[in-house]
Amino acid sequence: MAVFESDAEKLNKEEAEKTRESRKAAKEAVHKRFRKEYYSDYGLIFMLIFVIAFGLVMLFSTSSYQAALDFDGDTTYYLQHQFWAALAGFAFMIGFSFVPYHWYQKLTVVAYVASGILILVVLSPLGYSANGATRWFRIFGVSVQPAEIAKLGMIIFLAGLTDRLGKLAAQTKFFIAILVTALPICGLVYFITDNLSSAIIIMGIALLMLFIATPGYKRFVIIGAATAAISALMVFIALQTRDDPFNYRFRRIMIWLDPEAYASDYGFQTIQSLYAIGSGGIFGKGLGESMQKRFVPEAQNDMIFSIICEELGLFGAIAVILLFVLIIWRLLIIANYANDRYGALLVVGVLGHLALQVILNIAVVTNTIPNTGITLPFISYGGSAVFFQLIEIGICLSVARSIRVR
Amino acid sequence: MNDRTRDRDNRRTDPRGERRQGRRDDRTEGRETGQAKRTADSGQARRNAGSGQTKRPAESGQNRRPADNGKDPKGQGRRQEEKVSQFTFRMKKKLFVMFLFILLCFAGLTARLVVIARKNGEEYKRQVLSQQEYDSVTIPARRGEIYDRNKTVLAASEKVYNVILDTRNLLRAEQKSEGCEDATIAALVRYFGIDSGKIRDYIRDNPTSQYYILAKKVTYDKMAGFEALMDSTSDTYDEQVKGVWFENEYVRKYPNHSLACDVIGFTSSDGRGQYGLEEYYNTVLSGTPGREYGYLDDNANLERTTIAAQDGNSLVTTIDGNVQTIIEKYLLEFNEEYKDKARIGNGAQNVGCIIMEVDTGNILGMASYPGFDLNDPRNTDYLKGIARVNEKGKLMVDENNRRTWEAITDENLPEITANNELLYQNYNALWKNFCIVDTYEPGSVAKPFTVAAALETGSITGNEIYQCNGMLEVADHEIKCHNTFGDGAVSVTRGIVISCNVAMMYIGQATGSRVFSDFQKTFGFGLKTNIDLAGETRTASLVYTADKMGPSELATNTFGQGFNVDMIEMITGFCSLVNGGSMYEPHVVSKIINSAGATVEHVEPRLLRQTISQTTSDRIVQMCNLVVSDAEGTGRTARPAGYAIGGKTGTAETLPRRNGEYVVSFMCYAPANDPQIAIYVVVDRPNAGTMGQQADAKYATRIVRKILTEVLPYLNIQMTEELSDKEKQELEELRAASVTTQAGVGEEEEEAAAPETTQTETAAEVSPTEFAENSKPVWKSFERDAEGYYINPNNGNKIDPVSGFEYGAPALDEDMDDVPGVDANGAGIFEEIIEEGDYRP
Repeated sequence: MAVFESDAEKLNKEEAEKTRESRKAAKEAVHKRFRKEYYSDYGLIFMLIFVIAFGLVMLFSTSSYQAALDFDGDTTYYLQHQFWAALAGFAFMIGFSFVPYHWYQKLTVVAYVASGILILVVLSPLGYSANGATRWFRIFGVSVQPAEIAKLGMIIFLAGLTDRLGKLAAQTKFFIAILVTALPICGLVYFITDNLSSAIIIMGIALLMLFIATPGYKRFVIIGAATAAISALMVFIALQTRDDPFNYRFRRIMIWLDPEAYASDYGFQTIQSLYAIGSGGIFGKGLGESMQKRFVPEAQNDMIFSIICEELGLFGAIAVILLFVLIIWRLLIIANYANDRYGALLVVGVLGHLALQVILNIAVVTNTIPNTGITLPFISYGGSAVFFQLIEIGICLSVARSIRVR
Repeated sequence: MNDRTRDRDNRRTDPRGERRQGRRDDRTEGRETGQAKRTADSGQARRNAGSGQTKRPAESGQNRRPADNGKDPKGQGRRQEEKVSQFTFRMKKKLFVMFLFILLCFAGLTARLVVIARKNGEEYKRQVLSQQEYDSVTIPARRGEIYDRNKTVLAASEKVYNVILDTRNLLRAEQKSEGCEDATIAALVRYFGIDSGKIRDYIRDNPTSQYYILAKKVTYDKMAGFEALMDSTSDTYDEQVKGVWFENEYVRKYPNHSLACDVIGFTSSDGRGQYGLEEYYNTVLSGTPGREYGYLDDNANLERTTIAAQDGNSLVTTIDGNVQTIIEKYLLEFNEEYKDKARIGNGAQNVGCIIMEVDTGNILGMASYPGFDLNDPRNTDYLKGIARVNEKGKLMVDENNRRTWEAITDENLPEITANNELLYQNYNALWKNFCIVDTYEPGSVAKPFTVAAALETGSITGNEIYQCNGMLEVADHEIKCHNTFGDGAVSVTRGIVISCNVAMMYIGQATGSRVFSDFQKTFGFGLKTNIDLAGETRTASLVYTADKMGPSELATNTFGQGFNVDMIEMITGFCSLVNGGSMYEPHVVSKIINSAGATVEHVEPRLLRQTISQTTSDRIVQMCNLVVSDAEGTGRTARPAGYAIGGKTGTAETLPRRNGEYVVSFMCYAPANDPQIAIYVVVDRPNAGTMGQQADAKYATRIVRKILTEVLPYLNIQMTEELSDKEKQELEELRAASVTTQAGVGEEEEEAAAPETTQTETAAEVSPTEFAENSKPVWKSFERDAEGYYINPNNGNKIDPVSGFEYGAPALDEDMDDVPGVDANGAGIFEEIIEEGDYRP
């Protein structure tokens, strides 16, 4: 009984084995056909979707009051603008992720020249001013901030340049030459569009890319020390000339040192931002419950992080910081696994840009450094910024795509 | 680990390409590689062909080089680059260092966030909450109305609108659609007549302003017209008009302009009542402003709440608009007649008139000249003609301490308006209510009180007869009678009728200073009447107390010199003399009603005390009747056509004595047999020269007569006397005039003649006092001048042909100047006591 049974079972088992194997083979065939050969960083994409969605929610929360005041009760004015910019940026990001990044290498010089020319366009009749500064130009009904293009252009240019110079970049003369080539763009951004923060960020991107591309730490320690020394000197002069009319040049520094003293005028934004951060507590007042959004100037813009702190508390603020750390981590991974140095340098540029802007923004909001108008990537209001930042991510995704999965 | 191995592999120079290639062979060929190859191979091929170095497999995707544009000097350099064109381990290490540095920054910032939240969290929370007050808005309450007794509106509040410009909104609209700014400015100019240049300047200078008051107190009609432009449902909708909104406010309107200005008072620009009823009833009238505010609920959500404004209550006054109009008409007429007569300025320093209901204390009318338009109290035109005061509110004096009577004219007005304090003091002289603020020596109108006190206490029987020799020696002072030649035998009644000072002094001596002083208090002298008007003067210090009242003070007080009163005090006391002794608190408001029309408070007549008995009152009425009806009576000229009235004249010399300045007055009641209303007219220093011409009570009696002629019929008081033909004609004329225009000045001639006829008439009808002297008085033997006055041969003073009063002869010795409460060196007894503290009861 048992033997027959076992035979029958054996037979059955073999049959089952066969079918299983054939299924497995079929599955593998299918799998093979659709198998990903190359790396798509879905983690990064999902994080971006999340951060952009979160940014839109926070933007609506902070801007709805101001929008209602400014646009006859249209509370979604800022939200709509940002939404379309983010959507277009996202589409372009996906599109750019399929563009082989080596194409940009041919555009090294073009990127540099185009950045400069586009900044000069704001001086043309296309130029468009708001809040007392001409930082935009208008084309086909869309206003574009060329400084944001210049950041992208600078990343492409420096990646191409340093990659081509290779080890030569380590030589002091080339090192300085690279930095000097970055200066005209910074100058244009600062003097023509009156945008100090973007100029600082472009210079920062250049330094960070050189830091990665060239061996040794000595130069960077010297640059860091020099920056610190100049900063200290400026603070010293500011304090010494406290009662001098000349002092107005150091107003930002004076506000930074003692925002309370200027609470009603120049330090208003800073002090209101601190009020917002301080009043949030650990878990905040709840989404949409900010009371400071009516007081903090540019709440939906440079100061959005302070409203995040107020509404979501320290918990929310740290969560946002962690989210950015994760995104930077993903970019680091892409750079590490990049197939070549050029791709890696592109990603390093984007990584540096993102990290710099997040750090500087939070530092400004918390009055850790003097106030310069720096936006929080993906979250602050600003169509050009979010659009071009997403394109930068698209380039990184393209680099990621070239990593072959083993 | 895997990374590292790979890195190490990559760093090797030898057949790295093959290894990779080999690895790649395990897999199907990728799209990416193909792509990369395609991308790179054109340049690659060219370079490979040129250099001939083919160390690297042609299809290697990793080692693509950019198109070589010949900048590279040597092939060696290129080879070097080729070696490092991987993202080397060292770079990865540096990238990792950078990442650590970034993490460090983030950690630092997180720490900073925590520090802010922990260290300043509580403080900032409070700051945030305290800032929320920002959007609390006050909703103005409507101030209550003031009506007269017939519900005619005397004061009302009207809703008006402030035009607010929101520059920021306007500029934003301009950005959206060009032309908004121009359209809005054009509309503002068209509707409110605002200077367009001013608006443009403001917009240019303040592009972010959201609140700027372009025009204040715009009427509803204008506002509605403009609002229609911004209302999309209206026909005149203009979508380009933007950034303008309106704010409600109430503005006080006085439809009758200057009518009862002293009684009503006005409101300051912030809606606070000033002077009169507006000040006294400020809290009743003003209501409670509402508030719209945000507050935080349990969840710290901002909630909005509106507390509606509670409109103020309205006042129904006892004032009769018609009576008031009649009074003011004749005060004005008097002024027109006498202004600039002896000196530049008004017809008198002040003219005041009060009409009061005898049995209730209701004020029917109260006015003083000069007045002003309540809608425009700061119009300096009203100041013109009044005697100028200095920064302390005192009348101007020269170096001899004599008043200069400098009136405010076009010439000195700029000088006054230049000095704020000076201007304010002169305004105050204009705005104050003479009837309750100014004090003066009442003069002979006090005599009925002296007699009443003596009769009431039994000090005299009323049948006494005194001998008047023109003066009486009291405590080493020779106190003169008005008629220095003596009135001869004077009964108590005749003492009132001809106003004999000596008789009064004898009566005063009989009463004694203690009783006299007590009765002064009983009649309310030196006490506030507590009338419901702001600014009533406290006169306590202006009256002698019993222990301070020596014989000479007593003597002068009996005929109304030496102590100060104000008008409301006198008439209130006088009402009690003639109504049977009931002293009522005078009042102006009879009813307080709320905004819905319901009565909140009803003010009943308030009986304060019984001053004298009915019997005494009846006798006083008899005596006072004779003042008007007797041939010798000083008040004959006051009798209106068709009515018998009774009253008492008063002529009081002001301080410093011998200035020749007088306050003349007449206080009376009507009708004579059953007093219903009392009227008191005071002419303070008429503009008639200082040689005694002022000391004529006829200034006052004529005003009383004119007022009563119109007021008594209006009040439906039955005529008691038959009208003579002349009086009939006069009334006809008056009636005609009241239909067409105001009584003309041409009537004056007739009126001057009228007393003569009255005199003969009454002389025939009512027997003169029993004690009429047999012989002619001394003064009747003097020569008469062209006007009919007798002339005193000793000093050339004029003597009244009827009463024998010698003008310009002081009744009091000079050393009697130091009356209580008055600065003998100062501008005189006419001190306007209007310190802040005295205002409220």
